Amino acid sequence: MGDAEGFLGLSVALTGYDRASLWSTGCVPAYRKQLDAVAGPALADRLDHIGGMLGALPPGPAVDALIREEVLSDADLGPLARSLIQLWYLGQWTPMPQDWIDRNGAKREDTARIVSTRAYREGLVWDAIGAHPMGAKPQGFGAWAEEPPSETVR
Amino acid sequence: MSEMHYDAVIVGAGISGALIAKQLAAKGRNVLILEAGADGGAEASTYRSYVDAYHLTEVKVPNSPYPANPSAPSPSVLDVGPIAPGRPDTAGYFVQNGPNPFRSNYTRVTGGTMMHWLGTCLRMQPNDFRTRSAYGQGVDWPLSYDDLAPWYERAEWEIGVSGDKSENEFGGIHFSKDYDFPMEPIPKSFSDRWFEEGVRGMEVALPNGETKTLSVSTTPQGRNSTPRKGSYKVGGEKQPPYGAAGATGAYAFQGQRCEGNSSCVPICPIQAKYNALKTLSQALRQKGRVEIRSQSVVSKIETDGATGRVTGVVYKRYEFPGAPAWEMKRVTADAYVLATNAIENAKLALASGLCPTSGQLGRNLMDHPYVMVWGRAPRPVGPFRGPGSTASFPDFRDGGFRTKKAAVRLELANWGWNFAANAPYSDVARLVEGEYLFGPELRARLRDEVQHQVRIGIMPEQLPSALNRVSVNPAYRDSLGEPRPVLDYAVDAYSRAGVLQGMDICQQIFQRLGIENRSTYDPNDPGYVSEAGRGFVYFGAGHNAGTHRIGASRHDSVTDLDGRSWDHDNLWLVGCGAMPTIATSNPTLTMTALVLKAAAGLERALEGKS
Ligand SMILES: Cc1cc2nc3c(=O)[nH]c(=O)nc-3n(C[C@H](O)[C@H](O)[C@H](O)COP(=O)(O)OP(=O)(O)OC[C@H]3O[C@@H](n4cnc5c(N)ncnc54)[C@H](O)[C@@H]3O)c2cc1C
Ligand code: SF4
Repeated sequence: MGDAEGFLGLSVALTGYDRASLWSTGCVPAYRKQLDAVAGPALADRLDHIGGMLGALPPGPAVDALIREEVLSDADLGPLARSLIQLWYLGQWTPMPQDWIDRNGAKREDTARIVSTRAYREGLVWDAIGAHPMGAKPQGFGAWAEEPPSETVR
Repeated sequence: MSEMHYDAVIVGAGISGALIAKQLAAKGRNVLILEAGADGGAEASTYRSYVDAYHLTEVKVPNSPYPANPSAPSPSVLDVGPIAPGRPDTAGYFVQNGPNPFRSNYTRVTGGTMMHWLGTCLRMQPNDFRTRSAYGQGVDWPLSYDDLAPWYERAEWEIGVSGDKSENEFGGIHFSKDYDFPMEPIPKSFSDRWFEEGVRGMEVALPNGETKTLSVSTTPQGRNSTPRKGSYKVGGEKQPPYGAAGATGAYAFQGQRCEGNSSCVPICPIQAKYNALKTLSQALRQKGRVEIRSQSVVSKIETDGATGRVTGVVYKRYEFPGAPAWEMKRVTADAYVLATNAIENAKLALASGLCPTSGQLGRNLMDHPYVMVWGRAPRPVGPFRGPGSTASFPDFRDGGFRTKKAAVRLELANWGWNFAANAPYSDVARLVEGEYLFGPELRARLRDEVQHQVRIGIMPEQLPSALNRVSVNPAYRDSLGEPRPVLDYAVDAYSRAGVLQGMDICQQIFQRLGIENRSTYDPNDPGYVSEAGRGFVYFGAGHNAGTHRIGASRHDSVTDLDGRSWDHDNLWLVGCGAMPTIATSNPTLTMTALVLKAAAGLERALEGKS
């Protein structure tokens, strides 16, 4: 694996955030490392390959179908993808279920933890819910009195 | 081994200890503060490390930012488990005899528990000082609202409270004409105003025949907004215009106005919220000499058997937090002040055999057993922005129903179901692991789910009871050999009935505003209790109080009005432990008023001597 294209293609499709948003978190290298460490080379390659295909497709039903068929319903890739989504949204890795571990082996990196202070602050959930990470990126005095911002999903 | 003799030795560097030090040092006194915890954020790098630790912990509870310190352990809300009859729960720092678990915590670091308080600064109402005569419940205070009013004013200026007089004149609370809060009110949140609009004119008929008209009042808060222009009379004395206290140490460029970090509990990253480090740093700038020794756990207060006077304080100074090694030291002073929080004050005094006459020491432990009601609003209300709470329904803080049921304050929350259901973490997990959502749909659903979250907190008063108490037992010790607090605690039928009435009122509000009720209470939760066949889960509010109450007589109270021990002429006990009853207001403002009064009394006593 060379560049992060596969990882980004996968991440964009899974999170609903575009490349620029994901890059600008500064978390791409750390998250890619985390995913690869738990997935192991064979599963990481499969995800990378699918990510490449996803990256080439325009957003829409084709992307959704590919994700559901090839990733989410796959016994090995599904749990990895769901943990990757939560990693992006919360900065926190969610460990693999037991049957996954029985098939693929336990990994040292597969523990529940917030990857870094940056990962916490860059969790996508805060933007998604129209707020800001608690304890970071404050919105300014009195912002809480304003009408909540309207939805901006593309 | 005795060293320098001080005018006063203060045990504990929380707000109580810091304030006494500041007041005495202003009069030129030499003061030593002994503090059990480590450094505590006085250094900018330490404060920063607290914020980082908060960001990094998965389970974000009040003590998350502060390093676990076995040499001066703190209780954690995560330690609380079920208690089997006859078998105390010893899993955490507390030894809990039950029957109900005491669910509150405190923090033993320099700065104390105010590092992670929320900042709510309400006064008690006149009737709260006389519940025995008015309602036949609890005890009357040895002073009235009017007696305490000038001290409330000073307390509000010490903490730096942002508030609005007109919205806080309810239940008999009144303010002097030429007085005002030092800072303009913190704006109500969007959701506060949505509730306010929705309940306008709404009447609630209570089962006892009383009818109340709902109102939403802005909460006075210990966080910086904009200082009021002009000068006011505070405690009867003309004051120059208020200057806000910024952050301490190298952070001094921060801590100006609250900018909405939405993490006041467990830590305000910019120190816009008041914390006791601010008072400590002011104490150090007074003309007297204030010395702070941290990592110094006071172990024993020594007394003269004949006179009852305190003769010295023995403390354990440890070099490395967690290592079971320490040096025993002793200091002496003219006056001694215990300011270690209601539970630790009682523990330390009991372990030293102090204050025997009234038999009240350690008894009457109170808190606000905090119950939550939550739901989905019919429109987005913008949660997870700003301070944790900026307004409440004050209408049930007093009333004739108090003969039978606890008064309650209904607090509006700004952080959705964060405390109630661990939102937004639980929302992400549910949508991803349970509904298999991803991509734009996940994003949209998250927004929809969280934007509609509303929550009300019910804070019932708890009556003083001799059975709710702190005690010590040599069988239970920490790693320094110090006794661990042993707690007996129950949430009685009076508080429970008040909670149920509060829950009914919340449902009426939900019905009126079209909020879907989503509250659920797990019967397996250690805080699950029931009354009249209805169950709910209570939490702790951190409002530990009552263990060394003030009073008019040595026979039913531990100290006099000024916190001076009836049994030991040169010993003061200060903090929320001084409060005879807890009412429905968060206790720290009332406590601060009492601490300032105690400091004045202590200074008078020292003057009498010198
Ligand atoms: C989560 C939470 C939220 C809260 N929010 C609010 C709020 O919104 N409004 C409100 O009014 N109140 C609130 N409170 C309560 C408030 O924090 C306390 O009332 C207040 O901190 C009490 O101040 P204190 O100085 O008496 O004690 P503390 O702040 O607890 O300080 C005691 C100090 O004594 C030290 N100490 C303890 N034992 C020893 C010993 N043996 N030797 C030497 N030093 C010792 C401790 O390390 C500590 O520094 C909250 C509490 C919690 C837990
Ligand atoms: S909302 Fe933020 S800035 Fe304001 S007091 Fe709370 S943590 Fe501090």
